[in-house]
Amino acid sequence: MKPDSYDIKQKLGVIFQDVAVFEELTVYENIDYFCGLYIKDKNTRKQYIEDAIQLVGLEEFKKFYPKQLSGGLLRRLNIACGIAHKPQLIFLDEPTVAVDPQSRNNILDGIQKLRDNGATIVYTTHYMEEVEIICDRIIILDKGKIIATGTSDELKKKAKIEEKVTVEINRLPEEIIEEVKKLDNVSEVQYKDNVLVITYTAGKNNLGDLIEFLKQKQVNYNKIYSERPTLNDVFLELTGKELRD
Amino acid sequence: MFIHIFKYAFKTLFRDKMLIFWTFAFPIILGTFFNMAFSNIENSEKMDIINIAIVENEDLKSNEFIKEAFDNLSDKENEDSLFETKYTTKEEANTLLQDDKISGYIILEDDKANVVIKSNGTNETVIKYVTEEILQTGKIVDEIAKKKIEEEIVSGNYQVDYEKIYEEVSKIVEKDDTKLKNISNSNLSYTMIEFYTLIAMTCLYGGILSMVVVNHNMANMESVGKRVATAPLHKGKLIISSLCASYITQIIGLVILFAYTIFVLKVDYGTNLPLVILLALVGSLAGLSLGVAIATLIKANDKAKTGILIAVTMFGCFLSGMMGITMKYVIDKNVPIVNMLNPASMITDGFYALYYYDTFNRYFFNIASLLIFSVVMILISIGGLRRQKYDSI
Repeated sequence: MKPDSYDIKQKLGVIFQDVAVFEELTVYENIDYFCGLYIKDKNTRKQYIEDAIQLVGLEEFKKFYPKQLSGGLLRRLNIACGIAHKPQLIFLDEPTVAVDPQSRNNILDGIQKLRDNGATIVYTTHYMEEVEIICDRIIILDKGKIIATGTSDELKKKAKIEEKVTVEINRLPEEIIEEVKKLDNVSEVQYKDNVLVITYTAGKNNLGDLIEFLKQKQVNYNKIYSERPTLNDVFLELTGKELRD
Repeated sequence: MFIHIFKYAFKTLFRDKMLIFWTFAFPIILGTFFNMAFSNIENSEKMDIINIAIVENEDLKSNEFIKEAFDNLSDKENEDSLFETKYTTKEEANTLLQDDKISGYIILEDDKANVVIKSNGTNETVIKYVTEEILQTGKIVDEIAKKKIEEEIVSGNYQVDYEKIYEEVSKIVEKDDTKLKNISNSNLSYTMIEFYTLIAMTCLYGGILSMVVVNHNMANMESVGKRVATAPLHKGKLIISSLCASYITQIIGLVILFAYTIFVLKVDYGTNLPLVILLALVGSLAGLSLGVAIATLIKANDKAKTGILIAVTMFGCFLSGMMGITMKYVIDKNVPIVNMLNPASMITDGFYALYYYDTFNRYFFNIASLLIFSVVMILISIGGLRRQKYDSI
């Protein structure tokens, strides 16, 4: 895309990680200014601005200046400025960084509405739970390279994680942990803060087998439950667990 | 689209407190201090009436023009009066001089005016300067009168009305007298010099306004610049409409400054006020272009750029005489190229030209210099803007 590819730019909406608004303009004026760079007709623009304000839930803050808004509200304003012109392709770069849970929910709801209205959204984030909620297709990038693509289920399969079982045990001898590691399909065992987490790569009755094993070893436990692996597990599996810069 | 961008650029500028301080409030505060400081100096240095004597002799009787000129400059009802003149004999004049009753005396001998003084000082210099000017003017009057008489004779009018011709020429003398007074006054007007450099500074501070709007539109400077860069708009159109807003804001600042200095501080810009305003408008254009150039060419954050612009402006004003008019003369004498490239100097020099000279040649030379400076700055900035490339999406 060249700087003068105006036809393409007209269809794009970009929401940067840094909040990109004018401190000297109110919420309404900020959205109007950026929307006005795309939409010339005043009446259409007015309607679009109202839609954007409603989408991000800033109805009560139209006359507020950015410095009067909380971090979450600012993020919502940032999104409104980027999507008010109803673009067909929207790039969102970590729009929920440092945002309170209520604002995050609002932002994610808004993004889903944009998707439901037909927009294609490219969403960049480190929060895997958000990806699970809103993304149809996922690309995992590591050190600038694509290491996996697919739907959430496809990626989970690629990561070879079938099941995670968590057991709360007050005291677990080291020799029992070593024996657990040798059980069928077990790929990883962690025991920390009285919580034992066992990751299985395959198997249908892992939970039942584990209960039987603990009974035989006369190990008492408070709670035991099984989970499907999350995208977070997949991400760590694919990119490794060592700390990054 | 132009109006949309213009409207919001205008709003962002007007609501920026830092900008309003530097472009609106700071010149007014500085002007108030100048007025307080320099009006006292001016009052204390207002020229006292100088006591002189003129030796009455045959040469003086045959030179009515000189006598009239000194009488005019000694007229107590004239607020520009310079001298208290006594007509005496040479001996008496000498005695008065020795007794320090007069600063000097003038004696006409063989169409020459000798100024006799006891020591060198301001009063003595003024006597010499004024006498020379009067003699010079007298010669011009004589020449014009002679020419006119010759023309009358050549055209066949042998009954020349000598008195009428000399009367007409004496009107020129009166004019020259006025010119003399103005010059003697203007030499002492510290306040006006300071106000001219103040206007020059205000014009150049307009650069902050243009710098801010340019930064708003540059993706490598501000986050809003990134957003603007993704919009389907030509960068040039965007910047031009934003710059128009900054120029209008600058003009409003100047209007406030002029109104404040004229109506509150009672500064008298004389009869040339429209030309003073024209020069301020062109000066603002130069300031605007300087701001654009610094915004596009210097790779630093916006605070550093603002600091650079303020430093450049203050230094330029210093060289053009803001902190002392001597500096301007020193630069003019030793490194004139500096003042020829210094927009602050171009502006103040244009103002001085209006004040000192009867013709507008030097004034318009400065106007042209400022326009050329602006065009060069804008062209350099366009070059700088075109070279900037960002990563494509």
